[in-house]
Amino acid sequence: MTRERLRGTRRTRSAWGGGRLALVLLLAALLLPAANHLVGDFGLLDPVKAIFLYAILGLGLNVVMGFTGLLHLGIAAFMAIGVYAFAILTADIYPFQLGFWPAMFLTLPIGAAAGFLLGAPTLGLRGDYLAIVTLGFGEITQDVLKNLDTITNGTQGINPVPPPTLPWFEHGDQGWMLTWYEFQKDAPLPWYYLFLALLVIIVVLNRNLEHSRIGRAWMSVREDDLASKAMGIPPVRTKILAFATAAALAAFAGGLWASSLSSSGEPANYDFQVSILALCIVIVGGMGNITGVLIGAIAVSGANDIVLQKLFEWMQQNGWTSTGSVFGSPNNWKFLMFGLALILMMRFKPDGLVPARRRKGGAPADPGPAAESSSHEEAA
Amino acid sequence: MSETILEVDAVTMRFGGLVANENVSFAVGRGQIFAVIGPNGAGKTTLFNAITGIYQPTAGRVLFRGQEIVRGLGGGAVLRAVIVGLLTAFGLLVALHISDLWSKSIDDNYEYGEAFPYAAAVRSFFATLGGHFTGWGLVPVALGFVIGAAASFALSMNARRAPDLIARAGIARTFQNIRLFAELDLVENVLVGMDSRLKTGYWHALLRLPRFFHERRVATGKAMELLRFVELDKKAMERAKNLPYGHQRRLEIARALASEPQLLLLDEPAAGMNPAETVDLMRLIRKVRDRGVTVVLIEHHMRVVMGISDRIVVLQYGKKIAEGTPDEIKCDERCIEAYLGKEELG
Repeated sequence: MTRERLRGTRRTRSAWGGGRLALVLLLAALLLPAANHLVGDFGLLDPVKAIFLYAILGLGLNVVMGFTGLLHLGIAAFMAIGVYAFAILTADIYPFQLGFWPAMFLTLPIGAAAGFLLGAPTLGLRGDYLAIVTLGFGEITQDVLKNLDTITNGTQGINPVPPPTLPWFEHGDQGWMLTWYEFQKDAPLPWYYLFLALLVIIVVLNRNLEHSRIGRAWMSVREDDLASKAMGIPPVRTKILAFATAAALAAFAGGLWASSLSSSGEPANYDFQVSILALCIVIVGGMGNITGVLIGAIAVSGANDIVLQKLFEWMQQNGWTSTGSVFGSPNNWKFLMFGLALILMMRFKPDGLVPARRRKGGAPADPGPAAESSSHEEAA
Repeated sequence: MSETILEVDAVTMRFGGLVANENVSFAVGRGQIFAVIGPNGAGKTTLFNAITGIYQPTAGRVLFRGQEIVRGLGGGAVLRAVIVGLLTAFGLLVALHISDLWSKSIDDNYEYGEAFPYAAAVRSFFATLGGHFTGWGLVPVALGFVIGAAASFALSMNARRAPDLIARAGIARTFQNIRLFAELDLVENVLVGMDSRLKTGYWHALLRLPRFFHERRVATGKAMELLRFVELDKKAMERAKNLPYGHQRRLEIARALASEPQLLLLDEPAAGMNPAETVDLMRLIRKVRDRGVTVVLIEHHMRVVMGISDRIVVLQYGKKIAEGTPDEIKCDERCIEAYLGKEELG
C-alpha cells in the first residue's frame, strides 16, 4: 500500500466517516430558514438556535468524555463562568463595557483558566473521584455566583447584556460607510446564521484536534491509561489540556447564551440539570464522535425545546391539560424521559446513535480470541 | 561484554508483606538479546514494571546508560513549589476579600457614563489588598503558601520516576496482557507510540498550520514503515481490536519501536502464538536487535529463549538464581530443578 493511497483511505474512512452526515446536517441547517419561510413559520429558528448552543456545549464535553474518557458532571459550571464573564465584561453597570466580539473571545481563555485551575490539582485522581470533584465544582460555582452579589447581582442576574454586532456597510449622507449592525430581538435570522457559523468553526477546530497528535494522546488515555503512560504520553498534562479545552468551549457557549438571552439569567439556570443535558447529548449521539454530538444535540435539545413544547401547546389547545397541573405539562416529564433515554441507550446502544469511528465495509477480519484476551475492559 | 545499557542494581520490590523481587541485580549490554525466565509468580513482570516506572523499587536502583532516569528535585521543582505557593497564597487572599476588593476598586471608581480610570482601580485594588495583609490576615496567606507549595512539591515527588519520563528517555515496552488502543487503527496506535518524537503543539494542531501537514506526512510515513517492518502494513486501517492475537503482539512491538527506543522490554511476546508465528517472532526480535535496539524479554517458550538469547537471568520466588549464556543455563542444576524440568530439555 502506498502512502498516497493510505492517506486517501484514512480521510475517507476515519475522519469523514461521519463527515458526510455532518455535511448533510449543515445543508439542512442552511436551508431551514428558507423552508421556514416558504412552508410557514413554525417558530423553529429560536429552538434550532438553542440546538446550536447545546451542540457547542456538547462538543466541549465530548473532548473530556468522548475523546479522553473522563466522566465530567460539572460542565454547566464552566458555561456559567462564560455567561458571567461575558455579562460582566459587556454590561454597562460594569466599567469594562467591551464589545460583543472581544468579550466572546475572552470567554475562551477565562474558561480555559477555570478548567486549568480545577484540573491541575485534581486530574491525578482516578475515574469516579474525578467525577465527584466535577460534580462538586458545579454546585460550588452556582453557590458562589449566587452569594457573591456585590459582583454578580446574586439571584437577579446581570442585564441587559448586549446582543452580537457585525461590521456592516450602510448608505448614509457621505456615501457608503462602515458601521456596526446590532442584532435585534425581533429579527431571528442573523442570530441563527451567526450561531450556525460559530458552530461550524468549532466543529472544524474540534476535528482538527481529534486528528492530531493531541487528539491521539487523548484517545490513548481513554483506551488504556497505563499503556499511554508507558508510550511516553504525560498523563496529567494531556488530561489538563482536554479539561481546559472543554471548559473554554463551554464558556464560549455560555457567552453566546447570555447574549441571546440579553441577560445572564440567575445562577440556578446553570445547575446540574444542564450538565446532565450535555451528558445526554454526548451519550445519545455517541461518545467521541463529533457528528454524533451534533445528532445528540438535535435529538436531546430538539426533544426538549421543540417536540415537548409543541406537544404542550397542542395539549393546551385541546384542553387536555392546564398550566396549573404538575403532571399535565410535558416539561415536568422531561428529565424522566431523559433518564429513561439514557438507560435505554446504555442497555441497547451503548455506542450511541452514531458510534465513534464507524467503518463502512471494513468488517473485522477475525474478531476471534483477541477481544476476550485483551484487557481493555479493566483499563477503561 | 560491550557497553552496559541497563543495570538493575539490587532491586527489591515489596508489596506489604509480599516480596516480589529481592535484591535482583544484572546488567544488559548494548545490542544484546537478554532473557528473563522463571516460573509463574517469580516476579518477572514486576521487575519490568519497576524498570519502566510503573512501580517504584522499594530498594535498589535502575540505571539506564549509567544513570537513573529521574526528574530532578533540585532548583526547578523548588522554584515551581515556591511559585505555586505564592500564587495560592495570593489567590486565597483575593478570594477571601473579593467583595471588599471589588467594591473598593471597581464600584468606587466607576461613575456611570464616564471613562473608567484603570490605573486608579489597580491602585485601590492593591491598597485594599495591602490593608488585609496584616495581623490575622497573614494567617490565610501563610496557610495558602504552605498548602500550595507542599502540594506542588508532593506532585513533583510523585512524578519523579514517571513512566512517561522513562519512555521518553528511551525505554519502550510491551505488555503481557496486550494493551493496545483498541478503538484506534494500526497507524494511530503506532503514532501514539511516536508521540515523544513529534513536535506539533496544540496550536499547530488546532489551526492546522503548515508544520502540522509536514509532520503528519513524515510521521505517517514512518508509521507505515514500522508496520511494514512487523508485516502488518496491509491492515493499517483496521482497528487494533479486530486484529488476531498474534498480530496484536506484533503491533505492540511496532508501537513500542515508534518511540525510537534504545531498549525494548518484551513481556512474553510469544504467549498464545502457534509454532509458525513463534518462528516469525524470533526472526522479528532478531531484526529489532539488528536495528540497534537492545532487547530484554520475558518468555516461557524455551525454544524462543534458548534460540535467540545472548544471555539469560533466571528468577525464582523473586530472587535471581542463575545468570549466563543459554548453554550455561541449560546445564545449571538449580534451573532445571526450579523451572526447566528434565523432560523439556529432552
